[in-house]
Amino acid sequence: MSIYRLFWIIFISAYSVVRSDDFKEEMYIKPLPPSHLYTYFQFITIVNHKSTEHSHLSPRSLGEVISRFKVDELHLTLTEGQWRHHQWGYPVLDAAPGAELYAWFATDVDDIDTQWRKLTSTLSGLFCASLNFIDNFNTVIPQMALWPTGAVKPIQNITSQLRYASLPREIVCTENLTPWKKLLPCESSRGFSALLNSRMIHNTKYHSIGVHVRKICANKDCTDTHLEIKQTVALVYDYKIINSMDWSFRKLFGQGLPGACTLSSASTIYVDVTTNSSHSFKLTPSPHRILQSQRGASETEFAVYDIHNNGEMINIGAKYDSKYSNNMTVIIPPPIYFNRYVLGYGKEFGGIVTELVNNYMTAIDVVLLENAPWWLPIQLSSLRVNGEANNKLVIAQYFSPGRNRQKPYHLELLIKLPPRSTTTVTIDFEFVFLKWQEYPPDANHGFYIGSALITANLPTAKQYSSLPISGSTFDSIINASKPWYPAVFRTNGAMVSLPTPDFSMPYNVICLACTVVALAFGPLHNICTKELILKPVGTPVSLTQKLMNLLKRKKD
Amino acid sequence: MAVILKYLIAGLVRYWLIHIDYWQTIANRVEIATPLNSWKRLIEGVYLYGHNINPYEGDSFHESPIMLVLFYYLMKRIPFILPALFTVLDLLTAYLLYRTSKAFINMFKDSQDKKLEEVSEESKNMLLNDSQLKEASEYVLSVYLFNPYSVLNCVAMTTTVIQNLLVAASLWGASTGHRILACVFVAFATHQALYPVLLIVPIAILLAEVNKGCHKCSYIKTLLVFVLCWGFLIYISAYIMDGSYEYVYDTYGFILTVPDLKPNIGLFWYFFTEMFEHFRLLFVCAFQINALALYVIPLTLRFKKEPVLLATVLVALSTIFRSYPCIGDVGFYMALLPMWKHLFTFMQQKFIVGCAFIITSALGPTVWHLWIYSGSANANFFFGVTLSFATAQIFLITDLLFAYIKREFTLKHGTSRQVDGKPAKLVLR
Repeated sequence: MSIYRLFWIIFISAYSVVRSDDFKEEMYIKPLPPSHLYTYFQFITIVNHKSTEHSHLSPRSLGEVISRFKVDELHLTLTEGQWRHHQWGYPVLDAAPGAELYAWFATDVDDIDTQWRKLTSTLSGLFCASLNFIDNFNTVIPQMALWPTGAVKPIQNITSQLRYASLPREIVCTENLTPWKKLLPCESSRGFSALLNSRMIHNTKYHSIGVHVRKICANKDCTDTHLEIKQTVALVYDYKIINSMDWSFRKLFGQGLPGACTLSSASTIYVDVTTNSSHSFKLTPSPHRILQSQRGASETEFAVYDIHNNGEMINIGAKYDSKYSNNMTVIIPPPIYFNRYVLGYGKEFGGIVTELVNNYMTAIDVVLLENAPWWLPIQLSSLRVNGEANNKLVIAQYFSPGRNRQKPYHLELLIKLPPRSTTTVTIDFEFVFLKWQEYPPDANHGFYIGSALITANLPTAKQYSSLPISGSTFDSIINASKPWYPAVFRTNGAMVSLPTPDFSMPYNVICLACTVVALAFGPLHNICTKELILKPVGTPVSLTQKLMNLLKRKKD
Repeated sequence: MAVILKYLIAGLVRYWLIHIDYWQTIANRVEIATPLNSWKRLIEGVYLYGHNINPYEGDSFHESPIMLVLFYYLMKRIPFILPALFTVLDLLTAYLLYRTSKAFINMFKDSQDKKLEEVSEESKNMLLNDSQLKEASEYVLSVYLFNPYSVLNCVAMTTTVIQNLLVAASLWGASTGHRILACVFVAFATHQALYPVLLIVPIAILLAEVNKGCHKCSYIKTLLVFVLCWGFLIYISAYIMDGSYEYVYDTYGFILTVPDLKPNIGLFWYFFTEMFEHFRLLFVCAFQINALALYVIPLTLRFKKEPVLLATVLVALSTIFRSYPCIGDVGFYMALLPMWKHLFTFMQQKFIVGCAFIITSALGPTVWHLWIYSGSANANFFFGVTLSFATAQIFLITDLLFAYIKREFTLKHGTSRQVDGKPAKLVLR
């Protein structure tokens, strides 16, 4: 009898632990007129933090990484393509081209650099990405640009626990998507992840997969924390690729949605229908409900579908009114947008220019983080904001000079962008001549410079679609008016072509240079060790005689 | 009057060139500005220092902390005076070289008079008269003032200008017998660029000769003063950097390990670009020994009677083989050569060396442009040019030494090249 009771107690307690886990899947579709469509998936697993190893929803492999390396918060994105803020507004989560990883470690971690290297190597294996190339020489510690989104004790000095690295050269493909899908509770068999068919999603103009792990408050007073693992996919389709403005799941993903994931507590699809007024379209099947959201001064309208697991194939699509399809669209740019490019010609000196446009009617403070690799030494003395060396717009500045093969150059500027203005930040660099073995294969392809980070607290929610910091799911967006809206953006990357040596020359160069050294050594040795004497010159010997002498000697 | 005119013209040319639009181009030339001495890096270092960032934390600045502080205050208080200051310093270098050569000529005359009985009868007309000797120092002045290498070096406002001034001052101190002065200046130069450490040998010999008396005591005194000065400078620099000796890795360490492979006129850059990682340390050691230690002892033993020649040759050799040479260094030792004008008749490769200097000077910028800007040449072209430039310099120096021993031989044994009435030739044995 007592054994049975014990069994029941264990069963119930185990069940209650598991029950505290929660999995939700969400999808957000937003037409980006006139020519693109943004689809964003997020899969949220909330785990009772103490029991990552006993969760039936959270991926054990990832949970172990988090607990072993004592990571408080982690953001990993693998992106191909460039988000065009100017045309498309802001994404839910911005990502740098290539691979980007940043993490905060727990405050009791002493040797963060070692933990960071271990973390990157482990994640490299987990996602089949070359994150193992992250080392001290491409890691920076942002001072102002990044802040944790999860629950942290306010007294902690968190900046020193942060590490940030990006690999702009990383190419993202199927081999990253497959392990990413394996972390989901339903993998790719059921639920929204069944739509993520690599044949279709790598055909997009922009695709980004991400894993974001943070701590969230378990209760109102935040005495306990839960772990939130959010897996995201962002895709931007070009209507040209799907051949029409009318879209449907079948066109976008190659198949319909085979129902919700059985393990999810909610599966919801949000379609942003705000643009319906200018570009009228009709959704089929019709949405289950329409949500109006007033956030800041901007109004958004969502068509919402609640998906259940009833074995039906769902194919949501939109059909545009043909008479409006030729409408000219006026793109209203978001409050802040930016552009980055490389100056100069030749392979000796150059400059990086970052243009920041404030399109809003009040001044906005932004933090600009320039992260130049060690082979692109930027000179702080050449920093110019709007062409002036000491511009008043710069409120604060942080610079950490780089070192050859050890440390990148890291510049952070807190700039006040005046209303309705363009601010240019220019900094000069000098090309570095690398050792011949440090050049990557195809050295003349060029070298990628990572994106700059731009952090801003936007005063308006125009074109802003990120979740509020306290929210996990999309319904937290509804009527989430705040005094300001935090956002971290990535500029486009850039590319430079470093001067190359002749890779076929090592032996020749070593021989030639040593010969020249020997040219000095020989005569100097002679001068120092020998003395001049007069030697009688015999009568000159002709060539034939020389030959005869040689033959004679042979005979002897 | 003519002398003042020379200074005036040279000064005006320098000052004018600093203010023309092409100044930036000149200041950034790889032949003139190296990672060690460039004006751009000095500005960056001073800027970082002014913003409370340790310039030695990064990889942009490799000058000594003393220079850092000096230029920090100069740029803060009187930035407008800097072009004029560099011009004046370069003219001062020329003046010091002129004075040095005068003193050397006097010493030369003394030793010629002393060895008069050793000179064979038929070589008596080879002895130098006063006007010939006087000419030499005039030439030294003119060469330093108007040599395009030293002019461009000054115009680019490299720290080599100061380096040259320090070396010239130490030579002048030695030639006039001021031990402390010579040692302080050579210690300063050593602290700045390490390679002038070689000069302490000829300076010690010179001081012993000029000051007469116990030679050994003089050597020891000179060495002691030098080591004390150098140590003091190293300590002062550490004091400037808040007691940290980390800067040593970024100054001497940077010179010795050659981490920056930006092309220059020397032999190191392409050699270590193309070096197999496995052998890097071996060859770095080999090349640095070649530049710093290899030739000092044999040349000192051979030419201990001629400390001036020894100084010239050591300055030249360290210029050829140093890790970041620039044409300012070349211009400096070229200004010392006219003192040996009487040897030119014994030199065999004057024409070849002259042509090589002219051709490489013209070809260097050309192939650099082709490689870096138009992309139609590659690194090998520029490497070839620097290689032939180094070869030309080596020929010049070895030829000078051969000419010297040939002249000595001729003075002693007469001009006739005959043994027992048969024609003979000079050979080394």
